[in-house]
Amino acid sequence: MESNQVVLITGANSGFGLACAKALAERGFRVYGTYRNPRKAGPLRDLAAGLPVFPVLMDVNRTASVEKGVGRVLKREGKIDVLLNNAGFVVAGFWEDLSEEDTLAQFETNVFGVLRLARAVLPSMRKRGSGKIINIGSIAAFAATPVLGAYSATKSAVNSITEALRMETREWGVDVTEINPGEIQTNVVENTRLGRDVRSKSSPYRAFTESFERFAQERFRHAAPVGKLVQTVLKAVGDHPTKRRYLVKFEDRILYWMRWLMPDAVWEWALGLTFPWSKRV
Amino acid sequence: MENKPVALITGCSTGIGFETALLLARRGWRVFATLRDVKKSGPLRKASAGMPLEILPLDVDRTASVRRAVAGVVRKAGRIDALVNNAGWGAFGALEEFSDAEIRAQYETNVFGLLRVTREVLPILRRQKAGKVVHIGSLAGQMTFAGIGLYCSTKYAVEAITESLRLEARPFNIQVAVVEPGSIKTPFKVNRRKAVAFVEGRSAYQKTLQAILAFGDNPSALAPGPVRVAQTVARALESRRMAARYRVGLDAVLFPLVRWFMPDFLYDFALRRMYARFRKA
Repeated sequence: MESNQVVLITGANSGFGLACAKALAERGFRVYGTYRNPRKAGPLRDLAAGLPVFPVLMDVNRTASVEKGVGRVLKREGKIDVLLNNAGFVVAGFWEDLSEEDTLAQFETNVFGVLRLARAVLPSMRKRGSGKIINIGSIAAFAATPVLGAYSATKSAVNSITEALRMETREWGVDVTEINPGEIQTNVVENTRLGRDVRSKSSPYRAFTESFERFAQERFRHAAPVGKLVQTVLKAVGDHPTKRRYLVKFEDRILYWMRWLMPDAVWEWALGLTFPWSKRV
Repeated sequence: MENKPVALITGCSTGIGFETALLLARRGWRVFATLRDVKKSGPLRKASAGMPLEILPLDVDRTASVRRAVAGVVRKAGRIDALVNNAGWGAFGALEEFSDAEIRAQYETNVFGLLRVTREVLPILRRQKAGKVVHIGSLAGQMTFAGIGLYCSTKYAVEAITESLRLEARPFNIQVAVVEPGSIKTPFKVNRRKAVAFVEGRSAYQKTLQAILAFGDNPSALAPGPVRVAQTVARALESRRMAARYRVGLDAVLFPLVRWFMPDFLYDFALRRMYARFRKA
């Protein structure tokens, strides 16, 4: 369909990144999918066997690695039409249960990684006068909850980064947008890093953590299939110009609008119903 | 003396921190005003003569320094009733052009520094089963502006940190809020660091950034001074129940309100028009 369009997807060796690589390659895009760990690149290599998918070794936490990976794609293709900033993970735990390293690791990948990729691809996009960056955010950017505070903070930051890049790069014909999915059936749960003291017996939040886990499990039972998110990505890739942001499923829209319409006090009251233990003792 | 509530404030050498320290001391708090560089404590020392205000060194970028300062306060006062996370500065430049070191430095103070101090103080507040934490956020945590995208992203993160920490700390009778000043007549210029690419004149965004800088250096005559922010912090700390956020200044109240009524596409359009004006200036 859109032949010869080059897409770079970070974190494409599993879950949503992999599904996106497949969907885009099937529609005629030349897909470069990054992976960090060669031992976990199996699914991506399998995909590359039958489709125009090309695995690229890249650690978004390291500038040299990002520059090298992007440089190789540019050398081979001469351009990158679409950058899909997908690589990311979740650090879970009450703020007090997170160590400095936990927080840093969360920002290193989810925020600094996005900035590194943007920095690496933008000069070539500006030079050509066209290009698109799609950041994978989260509905958590608009609705911070307990336990997922660090994740929310990174996704809020990405939300702001998208807005700034969208303004700053438009004069060169570069389009920047963001997709904010809610729960999606991917390996996000197994890729979750627990804060240092989350399992500690002395953590004052221990009982709350257990209660939150039950809540999260319940939520994830209603997670949307990954195909929903892939559809949204295809829409964002096809839209010229893009919308400011894309939401994925109906429930996410409801949540987004509830947050938009409710005053802080009402919103907190509603959250208090969701997390009963967070009420005052 | 013993009955006075105890406040710990970071970043007190100038502006909002300076005024908040003085105001709280005048209003009957025992204030521990901290700053990174004790050599810059002259003006505060002079202004606070005879007041229940002590000056301590605290560099929020360094864990050891944070630990030492917090331990010092506990040793001297035995308790902490309020923490005001004020230390911060603003990076200026195009988002694409910040180096790793510049990004890290901005986050180190505005996000990780705030978390470091909070992490040290929370256990004390929990033991007391009472306490208040106020983060100094910004209008830039609600809306993103071109040229200060990196700074905005740190303040977006602070918003999410506030919202999640508020619920996490509530069972321990700890209250958390964010104070969001709009443009303020403070020596923010002193607390601003321009991106190296811009300073050296090799930015691809040079002209636009210069126009934005000229615009930002002329705050409206209506902009309140840092004393207004200090008054808001005092009001929050002295209220029985803190709201989630406090906005200071006409722009901080009005801009989010206007944004609230605007559909996404209209807001997008308005921002583009505004940015185009800088580009042509």
